[in-house]
Amino acid sequence: MKETYIILAAVFVPVLGSFLLPLIGRFSTRIRNVASFLFVLTSFLCSLALVSSAMAGKAVVFSRQLPLGFNLSFTADGLAVFMACVSSSISAIIILYSFGYISHYENQNEYYFMVVLFLGAMMGLVFSSNLIPLYIFWEITAITSWRLIGFFREKTHVFRADKAFLVTVFGALAMLIGFISIYQQAGSFELSVIKEAFRTNPLPGMVVLLILIGILSKSATLPFHTWLPDAGVAPSPVTALLHAAVLVKIGVYVFARLFVATFALPELWHTVIPVIAGASALVSAAAALIETDIKRIIAYSTVSQIGFIFFGLAVGNEIGVIGAMLYILTHGLAKAGLFLSAGIIEQNTKTKDITKLGGLMGTMPVTAISFLFCAFSVMGVPPLGGFFSKYLVFSGAVNRGDLWIAGVFLLGAFLTIIYLFRLFNLVFLGKSAFPQAREGSLGMVSCVAALAVLSVLSGIFISYPAKVAGVSVQQMLGMIK
Amino acid sequence: MISLLIFMPFLALLILNIPFKDITKKDAFWAVLALSALQAGISLFPNASFWDSASDVIGNFFKLNLAIDSLSIVLLFCIGTVTFITALVAKHFITDQKRLFNFTSLLLVILAGMNGIVMTRDIFSLYVFIEIAAIASFILIAMNKDIDAIEGAFKYLILSAIATTMMLSSIALILLMVGDTDLSVISYAMKTSERAPIIMAAIGLFICGLFIKGGLVPFHGWLPDAYSSASAPASVLLAGIVTKTVGIYTLMRIMISAFGFDNTVKTILMLVGTVSIVFGALAAIGQADFKRMLAYSSISQVGYIVLGLGCGTGLAIAGAAFHLFNHAMFKSLLFVNSASVELETKTRDMNKMTGFGQKMPVAAFTSAVATLSASGIPPLAGFWSKLIIVMALWAAGHYAYAAIAVLASVITLAYFLSMQRRVFFGKLSGELKDIRETAGGLVLSASILAAITIGAGVFFPFMLNVFILPIANMIGR
Repeated sequence: MKETYIILAAVFVPVLGSFLLPLIGRFSTRIRNVASFLFVLTSFLCSLALVSSAMAGKAVVFSRQLPLGFNLSFTADGLAVFMACVSSSISAIIILYSFGYISHYENQNEYYFMVVLFLGAMMGLVFSSNLIPLYIFWEITAITSWRLIGFFREKTHVFRADKAFLVTVFGALAMLIGFISIYQQAGSFELSVIKEAFRTNPLPGMVVLLILIGILSKSATLPFHTWLPDAGVAPSPVTALLHAAVLVKIGVYVFARLFVATFALPELWHTVIPVIAGASALVSAAAALIETDIKRIIAYSTVSQIGFIFFGLAVGNEIGVIGAMLYILTHGLAKAGLFLSAGIIEQNTKTKDITKLGGLMGTMPVTAISFLFCAFSVMGVPPLGGFFSKYLVFSGAVNRGDLWIAGVFLLGAFLTIIYLFRLFNLVFLGKSAFPQAREGSLGMVSCVAALAVLSVLSGIFISYPAKVAGVSVQQMLGMIK
Repeated sequence: MISLLIFMPFLALLILNIPFKDITKKDAFWAVLALSALQAGISLFPNASFWDSASDVIGNFFKLNLAIDSLSIVLLFCIGTVTFITALVAKHFITDQKRLFNFTSLLLVILAGMNGIVMTRDIFSLYVFIEIAAIASFILIAMNKDIDAIEGAFKYLILSAIATTMMLSSIALILLMVGDTDLSVISYAMKTSERAPIIMAAIGLFICGLFIKGGLVPFHGWLPDAYSSASAPASVLLAGIVTKTVGIYTLMRIMISAFGFDNTVKTILMLVGTVSIVFGALAAIGQADFKRMLAYSSISQVGYIVLGLGCGTGLAIAGAAFHLFNHAMFKSLLFVNSASVELETKTRDMNKMTGFGQKMPVAAFTSAVATLSASGIPPLAGFWSKLIIVMALWAAGHYAYAAIAVLASVITLAYFLSMQRRVFFGKLSGELKDIRETAGGLVLSASILAAITIGAGVFFPFMLNVFILPIANMIGR
């Protein structure tokens, strides 16, 4: 069937293509840059091409039987296609931005190799409908983020890269034990078979806990969140990729894939997970309030916002899950915009300390305005995208009757507004500390502006992604067959 | 014609040592290279008629009692590959022609000895082949003739002698009780004879000897000294394949073909395996010497093999064999990497190194491959073998062992990342700015081993169907 090739192209064009990039880079950096963009663009277009069939409710499936049940199976249902579109589109913008940002550093070949492989692995993970390939792609993203965080090769950077790698691998191994235990009971790693096997009997609490450790460590949620702010030492496009588009969303996605679309989560966890997420949201928002490093503030903000997504997913009703999915989109766009703006500021002022910055509004107007709009979206100011997703998550929670926890998250949302305004205030307003600082290169600034515009558009035209999210949530919750 | 695998190296050794004028000392190197490459090549075709023991005219004439099964084929491939790599590394490391000739001659002896170990089905021949390989190894370690090398070789020699005594007394007991040294006869006697407890005790003694030879905790004392003091090519060979064949493969063979899986023995093996995994990994964290870290890592990885073996199910043993294969590949690769670094910097102290990745891209990339494979990170080969072992442990209900085995991978990753951080991944500093990639043999051997590690991981269905799952089917259950 023709559509199965589209899935394979979406996954394997970037995965295999990435290995060519260092070779191409030996001859021409320009061709290498264009090629890496094209590989990612292919993924995006392929994902887009799968939207219509996913919306029609027939999932495209590719499956190849392999020994011991380690089958290579891909399924493009609503959730997968939605996630693939979000990740690949944001990644494509980040790659465009990298052309300017990374052009004067060493090891560029490795950079593009790792970034494209990273996105390819993300695509593989998103479309996998067997736990083994899912795990493989999960770990490939860990390998690539290890190399990328340590990109500048400074001693502390490499330490932090190792930390990120170790924390996420620890989580992944705990999750693997959970997978093996599921295999023991269901007799298969195939998600469709597992779904049938666990339709009647509930998932053991131990398995939920093990898989949750993996998810929380990857998505940098309390108590495994410390690696994410530390990973801010990576180049800015990489932090954008890690925090906004790919890495932290992996945990969220797998949570949706397993605990919403495959298993019914035992009742207790519908309370436990929001509590963890709420604590994570509050603690990291408070940390963002006192940090002085611009990238660490935005990183803590990511940890905090991820809490909202988990909250929506754990609420588990239709509105909450739709809200969480839209949150993935709007947060991805806005947070990528914030990180890329921070990258421009960092490159042009050579500092990340906000107490030393100030008054950049005058010298970097486009970056400042874009930053502001992205910040508005993260805060949840209507009519930007962030408002709708936050609203839906809250109304899902209220519908379910989780008023107390919703109150905690409301406090978290309030803190978000405070720390982002503090950040904007210290960096862009006030007395100009760097009168000689100029805007970033045209390519970089237009990427940031594009993300800001997309943040606005994702609010105004929220009905389109909401429709896709709606259909996929209905598929996930089994409302339509 | 499987007996050729034993006779050809000996024949080559004889011809090369006859003082003909037109045979130069250089030919020894090519002889090893050709023989080992042929062996590795033919092992890739386990269905070839070459492996049919009925057609083995020479072997049957000498009544050698040789046989091949799926487990032996995996080992023969590893032996061929690692010997090939060792010869390449030796060519680069040993510049003196006479010493290179001595080295390669010993390599031929070890090749024949290990092939014999893998193919024989007689416990006494097994012992003889073990001694052939072991004695050649002592000389290989001591060849440098500096004080460290001699100390390492001496430690190995003494502990091996103890092991040998245990094995020989065990064989004597068996001969007394069973009247034969054929493994299948022993196995039959175990099931039927009323003197089975004595035979069991005898084989237990044999297995203790193998624990020493394999360097398992608590008999591991000799191993870090022997590995780190030997010259670079010798440590590739020793760590990559010799101790694995002599100690671990033999253990597997005795368990499968003679001893059977008794519950007590299973528990002992799993305990020893788990303790080795954890102890080896923890000890490796603290090492500053590149090769000592790799040696402790070997103890830890061998623990996985023994743990899988101790589980006793077909799948677990197949996983153990797969891990043995993987270990032979990635550990040889890491020793090749340490050889390249040592050749350039003249030191093994990792604290004096930094950022070599910028100047040695091949060593940096291949060592990352080996590191990730050893830590069980997909899609590399080490992931599949660990996964199979853990799945089998889980299926057999050994949840705690499985969990420890999985989580110990984090420690493995931790010490390997600290190695990567200190040696390859970082900024180049002043005095070592001029290092460069060692040309030729070392790059080639690192690339071959990395290609096998990646290939076996990515094309795992081929690996599993052709080599690994037949082992599970052979053992059953």
